[in-house]
Amino acid sequence: MEASIGRRSSPTQPKWRKVAYGGMQPGFQDNHTDESFLEDMIMNASVVKRDLLKVMLDSVSISQYVCIVALVVLVWTYTLRSSFNENSLMLLDIILLGAGFFVFLLTAEMLSFDLLLSYVLKIFFFITGVYFLSPIYHTLTRSISSDSIWALTASLLVLHLFLHNYSGSTVKAPGALENPTFTSNISLNASIVASLLIASRLPSRLHVFAIVLFSLQVFLFAPLVSYCIKKCSFRLHLCFSFGLMAATLFFVYRLHGLLFVLLSGILVFVNLLGPYWLIRIQEYKFEINGPWDEAKLCFNITE
Amino acid sequence: MSKQEKHRILMVSDFFYPNFGGVENHIYYLSQCLINLGHKVVVMTHAYQNRSGVRYMTGGLKVYYVPWKPFLMQNTLPTFYGTLPIVRTILIREKISLVHGHQAFSTLCHEALMHARTMGYKVVFTDHSLYGFGDVGSIHMNKVLQFTLADVTQAICVSHTSKENTVLRSGLPPEKVFVIPNAVDTAMFKPAPGRLSNREIVIIVISRLVYRKGADLLVEVIPEVCRLHPNVRFIIGGDGPKRVRLEEMREKTLSSRSSRYVGSLTEAFCIAILEAASCGLLTVSTRVGGVPEVLPDDMVVLAEPDPNDMVQAITRAIHILPRIDPQEMHTRMKTLYNWHDVARRTEIVYDRALRCSSQNLLERLSRYLPCGAWAGKLFCLVMIIDFLFWRLLQLWQPDRNIEVVPDIHLTNHMQDKTARDSNMYEHLR
Repeated sequence: MEASIGRRSSPTQPKWRKVAYGGMQPGFQDNHTDESFLEDMIMNASVVKRDLLKVMLDSVSISQYVCIVALVVLVWTYTLRSSFNENSLMLLDIILLGAGFFVFLLTAEMLSFDLLLSYVLKIFFFITGVYFLSPIYHTLTRSISSDSIWALTASLLVLHLFLHNYSGSTVKAPGALENPTFTSNISLNASIVASLLIASRLPSRLHVFAIVLFSLQVFLFAPLVSYCIKKCSFRLHLCFSFGLMAATLFFVYRLHGLLFVLLSGILVFVNLLGPYWLIRIQEYKFEINGPWDEAKLCFNITE
Repeated sequence: MSKQEKHRILMVSDFFYPNFGGVENHIYYLSQCLINLGHKVVVMTHAYQNRSGVRYMTGGLKVYYVPWKPFLMQNTLPTFYGTLPIVRTILIREKISLVHGHQAFSTLCHEALMHARTMGYKVVFTDHSLYGFGDVGSIHMNKVLQFTLADVTQAICVSHTSKENTVLRSGLPPEKVFVIPNAVDTAMFKPAPGRLSNREIVIIVISRLVYRKGADLLVEVIPEVCRLHPNVRFIIGGDGPKRVRLEEMREKTLSSRSSRYVGSLTEAFCIAILEAASCGLLTVSTRVGGVPEVLPDDMVVLAEPDPNDMVQAITRAIHILPRIDPQEMHTRMKTLYNWHDVARRTEIVYDRALRCSSQNLLERLSRYLPCGAWAGKLFCLVMIIDFLFWRLLQLWQPDRNIEVVPDIHLTNHMQDKTARDSNMYEHLR
């Protein structure tokens, strides 16, 4: 800077420098905009270019989970109408528990007798706990009118579907690295409360026990099981999902025509229209990064 | 330096003394130097606990502490039109010609600038911070900034990085933004008279101990540096949520010519570095935001915000340390940064602002429409209501009923100062 002050009278103008010290740069106004303006700006650095087919295949997990929830609602409806009695429900519970456990064991990587024993013990405690709490759930909402219960259940299920973590599972397999996120916890809680509300409308305690066990099994462990299937083989996951979707559509059709139309509309939107729309609006994405960003620490803060 | 007309400036911000910080210092020093140049400066801010009403500071600087309580982080509650009567009264009483707002985060600043534009005054805005673009808070902040800057006469930023950031956030044309950095009062920051012992090196860290100021980096760096250089002593000043981590680290490790460490994760313009350099200390800093522009390369050692890189930078600094002469650094700082220079450059911005043409309401509304499909129309609506409210106030409380304040001239004081600073300006040329 000192040298360029002496050169003020020379014909060649000193170059503009991107510095803040030394006062006004001679020959340049303070609002001078150099060609190097915004040259450090990086646009859309972390934006991923998406492929339509891949997005459609990934959206199959979403529609698979929507079908699982639809099946649960079906079972609830049939139970509330007394089409299922408690023995068939208990049978359903045992079959589901067995099948889910079987799939989990097949696809688990690290398996030892101790781990197996701990799982069996936990499941035993879980079932016992639900059994002893079912009298409480039986009389929980006796003073609340039915429409409130249906409305509340419907909103909680919608909340559950919106906030659900479709890429992994909230209940993690042992050895999983990330913690569950805040929204996935909220969605899990919403589904549990919805199942308890429905269970409290049932006639006998055994009904309550069976339904609560069924609902909790599905909401807690179905994401884990489908995550295991997906991890094991993608084709198996696709077959399982399409089979599930077909079965769900069939059963819902038998229940009610309008609900069938609604469900198929949702599935078409999630699988076909959704990915297309996402890719169309991706071209408007404008992410700006530059020297003004807060620096990211490259180490983990261990408290 | 031609003899221009003297301006009457209103500085508006939520942040002023007795609150302490970079923006507050900037407003105060800039106002003092502008008063020395012969302009009249009035400051408007909100009341701080009992400090409410009109106060006079050094040099006849008049400060209006408007009696509103701050509601969040020293910001007044945004009421859109609630500030119009008081702003109008102040502008007419003091015969203000130009309004200068500071800091995008200050709600009082945005409201005052909006009212000043409605009433036809010229408006200058200075931005002191860097913001991101991705999270919810930044997106809303940037929209508010876009509203204010859609119709500002001129804008000032404190560093070139800050100019890029402001232009991107608000969509202003770059020619409207002037870069005038902060400065440091070198008379207050002088090197220590005696030299410390050669054997021991003292590293000072003074900052708020929060995540944003890089306190976690400090926790990683200190044990490593103490291990590599046993003769280094760290002195840490400041407090904050991360203090616990630092104390834990201190328990784990054991542990005059000195150097100064600044490890912030983002800085628009770092005054702490200038103060350190003015005291003759060698500074080690992270290369973030506007920091690389602030000092020449031989007065500061820069590093990436990575613990290994910082340790290497501190090692380099320790090797350079014997060659540093604090007095020479202090003298050099006096030439590099000077508040009178800042005031003069700001005066040029004011002259430009006052030469811009006045626009009527319709022309100004057309500037708000491009802000967005919905936002543009909303902003226009806000300005139209402001305009109507102003007209109503003019009917209810006419301009001629507002008493005009007579000026106080501190003549002896001014003459000494103008003689001194014209010498300094010659030196800068």
